[in-house]
Amino acid sequence: MKLAYYPGCSLKGTSFEYEVSLLKILEALNIEIQEIPDWNCCGASAAHSLNHNLSVALPARNLAIAENNGFEEVLAPCAACSSRLKTAKYEMGSDDILKKKITDSLEMPYSNSLNISNMLEFLINVAGKEKIKSLVKKPLSGLKVASYYGCLLVRPPKVMKFDDPDRPVSMDELVALTGAVPVDYSYKTECCGAINSLSKPDVVMALTGKILYDIKEHGADLVVVACPLCHSNLDVRQREIERKYAERIGLPVLFITELLGLAFGFSPEELAIGGHMVTADKVLKKIS
Amino acid sequence: MKTVINEQERRNFAREVESKLHDKLAKCYQCGKCSAGCPVNFEMDFTPNQIIKMTELGMADRVLNSKTIWLCVSCNTCSTRCPKGFEVAGIMDVLREIAVNRGIESKTEKEVQTFHEVFLDNVKSNGRIFELELVGKYKLKTKHLFRDMFLAPKMIEKGKLKMHSDKVSDINQIAKIFKDFE
Repeated sequence: MKLAYYPGCSLKGTSFEYEVSLLKILEALNIEIQEIPDWNCCGASAAHSLNHNLSVALPARNLAIAENNGFEEVLAPCAACSSRLKTAKYEMGSDDILKKKITDSLEMPYSNSLNISNMLEFLINVAGKEKIKSLVKKPLSGLKVASYYGCLLVRPPKVMKFDDPDRPVSMDELVALTGAVPVDYSYKTECCGAINSLSKPDVVMALTGKILYDIKEHGADLVVVACPLCHSNLDVRQREIERKYAERIGLPVLFITELLGLAFGFSPEELAIGGHMVTADKVLKKIS
Repeated sequence: MKTVINEQERRNFAREVESKLHDKLAKCYQCGKCSAGCPVNFEMDFTPNQIIKMTELGMADRVLNSKTIWLCVSCNTCSTRCPKGFEVAGIMDVLREIAVNRGIESKTEKEVQTFHEVFLDNVKSNGRIFELELVGKYKLKTKHLFRDMFLAPKMIEKGKLKMHSDKVSDINQIAKIFKDFE
């Protein structure tokens, strides 16, 4: 099966660590992916906030290109991108008029048959837990890891069709495969405020702060995420949140692909872990 | 602000929202579960269940000028938890779109709208997001030139801020999508 890769804008910019680490672990897993030729931005939250039809048409172009290139499965590691691609598929599947308008505009045949996976789905369904476990060379024993899912990996369930929307477990299961201890806490699926990070920073800091302090209270050494927007709020804004609430957090935020990469025996440099704003040096010493 | 609503106007507004939403406003029985679980309810002027009822009552001016529609972060907690399966997050998208089409600008939450507009302009001209340009243009438009600037040096040091971006080659097709759907 030909596997398409939809990187999205963040993985080519502020969240380059996500792409570096994901390519590393897929290489170890012996899974070949190919970037969708000439892919475009999915329109993210901006499109669906202002223009419904555009919010379906922009991701649809990527899906149509992938389909016409013979792909059956698309990996969209960014939770926002995967949510927009899945929503476009869902909308075109339930609105024939809109689907026709879009395929007419794109001037491409399109059957709406691709399977779209977020990072966690891809790791569990395509790579498989057994294979992942078999590649763990350096168990992360003793490391306490909190999985933060946020919104778009699991919600809305009728579109995402993945894991439990209130009590998801997939990322915790992947964490357990590495030998680390999954940490339970209250705000796994609370929103970090993602889209409003630049326009409503105070609101975003209140939401993200609530999540980070809760994780801290439950004794985690670090947080793992599978979304560049979650990562950006939890990592890039962390110093500012500490200053605002005058209480230290000091929680490194890693992508799930980086955690798996460490367990597979890759060095932090190979996984670009140094690209994060909150340093993971102290935590990494625990496992070295 | 208009408080007396003509019955025909009420129906027209409720119908316009329902047809765009592909859902029925009468499904909502005002249990308030959406509002209880909303992560940004503390900032809103009307709770999500109030917005639904006000829309049903045809209070277009109030809902389209509300802070709520722009503060909603589309986390979908409301839609997921709604016992009637009503599109709560969806109605916020629909109301935002109607507000923009009617030329209504939020008095207090203009920046949220501006960010979305600058974002889409960036997609329109590059096909992909060029983050540095996006942030720069947003700052110029909102005049918040120095907010968040303290993050920039470290982000550059960490390699997070790219100085150039790859454009989509078939930019004409992107232009066509915008022409056909904007």
